Amino acid sequence: MSRRVYLDHNASTPVHPEVLAEMLPFFTEQFGNPSSVHGFGREARTGLDLARERVARFLAVGPEEIVFTSGGTESDNLGVKGLAWARGRGHLITSRVEHHAVLRACEWLEGQGFAVTYVGVDGHGMVDPDDVKRAVRPDTIGISIMHANSEVGTIQPVAAIGAIARAAGVPLHVDAVQTFGKVDLDLNGVDALSFSGHKIYGPKGVAGLWIRKGTKMVSVQHGGEHERRRRAGTENVPGIVGLGKAVEIRGRDMHEERARVSALRDRLWEGIRSRVPDARLNGHPTARLPGTANISYRGVESESVVLGLDLKGIGVSAGSACTSGSVEPSYVLVAMGSPLDWAMGAVRHSLGRSTTAEDIDYVVESVEPIVRKLRAAMPVGAA
Amino acid sequence: MRYSQALLDHFLNPRNAGLMREPDGVGVDEYEGCGDLARFFLRVREGRVSAVRFQTYGCGPTIAAASAASERVTGRIVEELLNLEPREVEDAVDGLPDDRKHAADVVAGALRAAALDALRRPRGGA
Repeated sequence: MSRRVYLDHNASTPVHPEVLAEMLPFFTEQFGNPSSVHGFGREARTGLDLARERVARFLAVGPEEIVFTSGGTESDNLGVKGLAWARGRGHLITSRVEHHAVLRACEWLEGQGFAVTYVGVDGHGMVDPDDVKRAVRPDTIGISIMHANSEVGTIQPVAAIGAIARAAGVPLHVDAVQTFGKVDLDLNGVDALSFSGHKIYGPKGVAGLWIRKGTKMVSVQHGGEHERRRRAGTENVPGIVGLGKAVEIRGRDMHEERARVSALRDRLWEGIRSRVPDARLNGHPTARLPGTANISYRGVESESVVLGLDLKGIGVSAGSACTSGSVEPSYVLVAMGSPLDWAMGAVRHSLGRSTTAEDIDYVVESVEPIVRKLRAAMPVGAA
Repeated sequence: MRYSQALLDHFLNPRNAGLMREPDGVGVDEYEGCGDLARFFLRVREGRVSAVRFQTYGCGPTIAAASAASERVTGRIVEELLNLEPREVEDAVDGLPDDRKHAADVVAGALRAAALDALRRPRGGA
């Protein structure tokens, strides 16, 4: 295999060398438990405190408002269940295109007696703030809307939804796992925010939830007094140190990178559009993540395209997944009203800091013969 | 690698893919709940399969299994194909992962259906 191109940064990213360098001493030298009072513990605590300050500075919030967790999924669970349980009963609002960490937490809460409204999206995958406004009831106790969708990259109108939440006196949780460190977000109107380390060149297994001071929130797991009693369990110090460093680097690099990666994303789409017939870009044309291009090839099964590109050394992800003999189109594309013969052929390309123009040109050259061959073997209209 | 070299080779370079004019037998099978589909066209001469063409809609292993099976059955007596087992199709691609066994099922099913169609026609097996 001559060349390898990684275009799956929405799934995970390689750890930045500066992040790794900063983490390493916390495995072997500053290894203490940050809750311990002795010097070893204090050394670990120093790393933890610095990371918390870095995240707080990046978000322009207080360090005491940051809770570190084990991943975006835990952050979302804490955000959604923590808000709901703090109020005991009532009604929640979310959207149909949320990450499963939010959707399944909401579905589980329904089983616990909470009511949930799942607002739809338009053809670009965007929530209409008026739909959220109409869904608000006297017993609404929380709203959870993602900042950007991981599959199609559409950025939601969080500011407008935040204003609605404020007016209704309802706390708003935002899953910002895909945008944190990539695009700016005004926290006005937001009360809790999920973010993750491994989407921004930090390590896996570490993430966080910002909780606005004064927001009623209960913890989901119980034990020690860690994280100001909001998340029990010894902190993953090396991971948190890495997350803190990754956030600091994002503060330094993200604006320049946003412009560069957006241009490469456009180069990818333009290249594919000009070579491959019956291809379509999914998601919002402008309100979108810089590095995400979700492209549907009509009448082609996306996993075949992923396999074909994999054999060329290219890593992308399929919009539909064939597991245990069942192929399901992406629930996000279904919610967007995408016809089945397009939805089944959706392939997500997510670019990152290491992506080059040469990488993009290689992907564009590789896609066309793969799709052409697949179409040659496929009965028209089978999907 | 999750897939065998033989499977990847057939996936990248499918043999006998496409339509056939005036086939002597046509068979389709669809894997229930999955959407994977295979359609085979047979040309029959003196009771034997003289040419095969196929079309598939499905994941990579289904395309590869159809391609490998098309080579495997060429030259065979049509009646034999009525008993074609998925196991033989799977062998033709040097094995399939557990969650992709349906690729062999759908290909074997479509080939059996094509053989049956050929034998039922007036010049069946001619």
